[in-house]
Amino acid sequence: MSAAEVALEVKDLRTTLFLREATVDVVRGVSFQLREGETLALVGESGCGKTLTALSVIRLLPDPPARVTDGQVLLAGHDIRALPENEMRSLRGDTVSMVFQEPLTSLDPVFTVGDQIVEAITAHRKLSRADARAMAVDILKEVQIPSPEKRLGDYPHQLSGGMRQRVMIAMALVLDPKVLIADEPTTALDVTIQAQILDLVRAEQERRRLAVLLITHNLAVVSQVADRVAVMYAGEIVEEAPASEIFANPQHPYTQGLLSSIPSAAGDRKHLYTIPGRVPDPRALPPACLFAPRCPYAISRCWHEHPELEPVSDGHLLRCWNPQPFTALLALEPGEVDRRVATSE
Amino acid sequence: MLLILLISSVVIFYALRSAPGGPSGGGVLSPLSSQEVRQAYEKRLGLDQPVYTQYFIYIGHLVRGDLGTSLVNGSPIVELLATHARNSLVLGFTALVISYVIAIPLGVLAAVKRNTWVDQLAMGGAILGMGIPNFWLALILVYFFSLRLGWLPSAGCCDPPQLIMPALVLAAEGTAVTMRMTRSSMLEHLRDDFVRALRAKGLPEWQVIIRHVLRNALIPVISLTGLRLGWLVGYALIVETIFRWPGVGYLLVDSVLRRDYPVAQFFSLLLILFVLLANWLADIGYGLANPRIRVA
Amino acid sequence: MADITIADDKATWEARVDRLWSTRPARWRDAWYELSRNRLALGGSVIVAFFTLVAIVGPALAPYDYAKQVLSDTLLPPLSKGHVLGTDALGRDLLSRLLLGIRISIAVGLGTTAIALVVGTVVGMLAGYYRGWVDRILNGFVELVWGFPLILIAVLLIGAIGPGLVGVVVAVGFVNWAGFARIVRGEVFALREKEFVSAARALGKGDLDIMVRHLLPNVVGSALVMGSYYIAIAIIAEAGLSFIGMGAQPPLPSLGQMINEGSGYMLLNHWLSTIPGVVIVLLVLGLNVLGDGMRDVLDPRLKGMG
Repeated sequence: MSAAEVALEVKDLRTTLFLREATVDVVRGVSFQLREGETLALVGESGCGKTLTALSVIRLLPDPPARVTDGQVLLAGHDIRALPENEMRSLRGDTVSMVFQEPLTSLDPVFTVGDQIVEAITAHRKLSRADARAMAVDILKEVQIPSPEKRLGDYPHQLSGGMRQRVMIAMALVLDPKVLIADEPTTALDVTIQAQILDLVRAEQERRRLAVLLITHNLAVVSQVADRVAVMYAGEIVEEAPASEIFANPQHPYTQGLLSSIPSAAGDRKHLYTIPGRVPDPRALPPACLFAPRCPYAISRCWHEHPELEPVSDGHLLRCWNPQPFTALLALEPGEVDRRVATSE
Repeated sequence: MLLILLISSVVIFYALRSAPGGPSGGGVLSPLSSQEVRQAYEKRLGLDQPVYTQYFIYIGHLVRGDLGTSLVNGSPIVELLATHARNSLVLGFTALVISYVIAIPLGVLAAVKRNTWVDQLAMGGAILGMGIPNFWLALILVYFFSLRLGWLPSAGCCDPPQLIMPALVLAAEGTAVTMRMTRSSMLEHLRDDFVRALRAKGLPEWQVIIRHVLRNALIPVISLTGLRLGWLVGYALIVETIFRWPGVGYLLVDSVLRRDYPVAQFFSLLLILFVLLANWLADIGYGLANPRIRVA
Repeated sequence: MADITIADDKATWEARVDRLWSTRPARWRDAWYELSRNRLALGGSVIVAFFTLVAIVGPALAPYDYAKQVLSDTLLPPLSKGHVLGTDALGRDLLSRLLLGIRISIAVGLGTTAIALVVGTVVGMLAGYYRGWVDRILNGFVELVWGFPLILIAVLLIGAIGPGLVGVVVAVGFVNWAGFARIVRGEVFALREKEFVSAARALGKGDLDIMVRHLLPNVVGSALVMGSYYIAIAIIAEAGLSFIGMGAQPPLPSLGQMINEGSGYMLLNHWLSTIPGVVIVLLVLGLNVLGDGMRDVLDPRLKGMG
């Protein structure tokens, strides 16, 4: 590993949802490190807690009902969990920025794009309006929006989806933050535009030595931009490794399941694989390993002892009692997997 | 719109004349007047002719700008229009301003501090405002402020002290409705995605709420103004009557009760026109307030 | 290799999940349960039930004839001997008049709203279901009427047919149906696209059948909520019109009328106007609160309709 500085470190983060009927942990003991110039992809199905993890980091959880109940979030070495709100606010947009999934609804429809970028600037810097506008034009140019001066006067609904997302990225980067959190930035976009946006993020990252936390459920996106990958399931990280390693040698059955459901990674399988069952209801969790009910390799231990995240090789962490090589899964016939899961053989 | 106006005018014309009892001519006639006196009076005013003839004569006059004169005191309706319309506008405008000045900040506060005592109080006030009949409220206010405390006059026009109570009463229901609308619109928009994105930019909370959320939330409230104007007309009828505020509402009620045909006809048509315009304005207002519709 | 204990553990866990999902009550049971827990609905219905009871049996239990004038006993204050609420300027017992007044208010409110509900629902249903030009015409009509101030129409109408309760009932019903039509139309518009309608049509069911059997039950909830509010509106309107002399004629004691009669005596005998007023406020409050409660339970979507 290079000696790059750790821009963001999360230790044992626990976020709890306080509902009328129950109290559930939706992020359980999540830990990871994010270095300068590195992209860490947080991957998983919807509902696994990845977005809530991101919101917990930047302290934008909807409270009520959600709250961080344990753990530390270290931004450049300082624990930001304990910061008073107004100090946290000055960090947001300036030191750590976030970009969201749906660019149309993330922009205020009644203000022009220019106004909104200028607003982001003047919230943190004492600049005249003209200077702020100049900065806005510059950043729009940088994200490759044509005729940026004219675009300043446009309303969000007048721009295409790809352009809107560029605007969002511009707004997030205009004050040169250390960390960028991107929550499904390309999910709402066309495939061709997706590639452009990802290239843009990559380029900006190199130019600014930016640390990027990328949230996604799309493995194709991961393969394009991620340096490291952390796979989340039911609020826990179940596997973490460099991107190349994850694709070549996935160890956790869930990761393997995710990979075999995309055509390219599955090789020449005739049938695509879907993981049987559903994400567990937080009110009725499996007693030990949370993935056990859906796992083709489950053994008795998986129902009695909760596996911890352990290193299995250099830089590769795994949370599983009975990992099998990927080839084993690929060799199974589709019906076979379902049968195994159903009878837990 | 014109069609509706035309139909309304016919309907009103016939309706008024078919009501029991004829005009009293401002004291010239009484129920005890003899047949001959009454007939002479009617002949002079052309009231003995068939109704449809009267109608066309009336339309003819209208088109030429001759609005007629009051049967009660002979004043030309044009004059009545000038004074009474102005009075009503003053009253209505004041009530409207009052209601917005109170309702919007209260609505925002109630939404932001949802379910706290502030919210409960505001909502409670709104329920009362909508539930208390305005004429009764008027009586209570008069009782306290005029009779008991002697601070405000109980009737008449046109000084500011005389304007306060009628305006407050007129504003009451509208304030409650506007406040509830603002609150619910705010609550809805507070959940919009862009709010989270704005906070992620590091904007101070008050800016997020007032500059952004409120601006979005006000769109339906503003477009409701047109409709509110229409409703205001209705309430004005009662409020003006109670406080003897000489506006169009007062005039209309009075003229209908006294069978002052020309006055009743003209002003009811005027009010209908006003309501139609207000409704139409509401549609336009929505387009103006919402840039998505405006620019597209 | 089969490991029996896994199957057991798994089965136990799956049973728990199942139990979680099967404790969801059916939709209507849900509604009743929530309704009885909702304090608004409860409070509102208590008040409304009370007044309805009064309306039905009250006048029969009245101590005096509401129209009987006893000129030697005028303007007695409340808690005088023989007159719990006092008497008015003509010596008529206030309590007796109040009881009849309540009956009149509720009858008018209920009556007009019933008419408005039926007419509005029919119109809304037709407009929402058939769409096209039927909808354009009907909806144009609805929008026109909806924006109109009730009082204005009422004054004109009563100008035509003369004062009296009939005029009030007609006038109020004339305007209020539009509110129902709007709501129903909106709902039908949305419901029509749902699968169960297409399914019904595929089975060859007729339009009328679909409208009555499938759409109507879904629409009833919102209609009821609006109904509560509109009864309140009707009651206030009737009171207002009676106040300015266009509603119930003397000696009929409409609450609004009583307030009017008492207005001249505010300085010394304010109870003549205050008491009927308080009754109206309570009744309307009860109805509004009941409406809010029902709305919270049956259709949270309507929360925006100030």
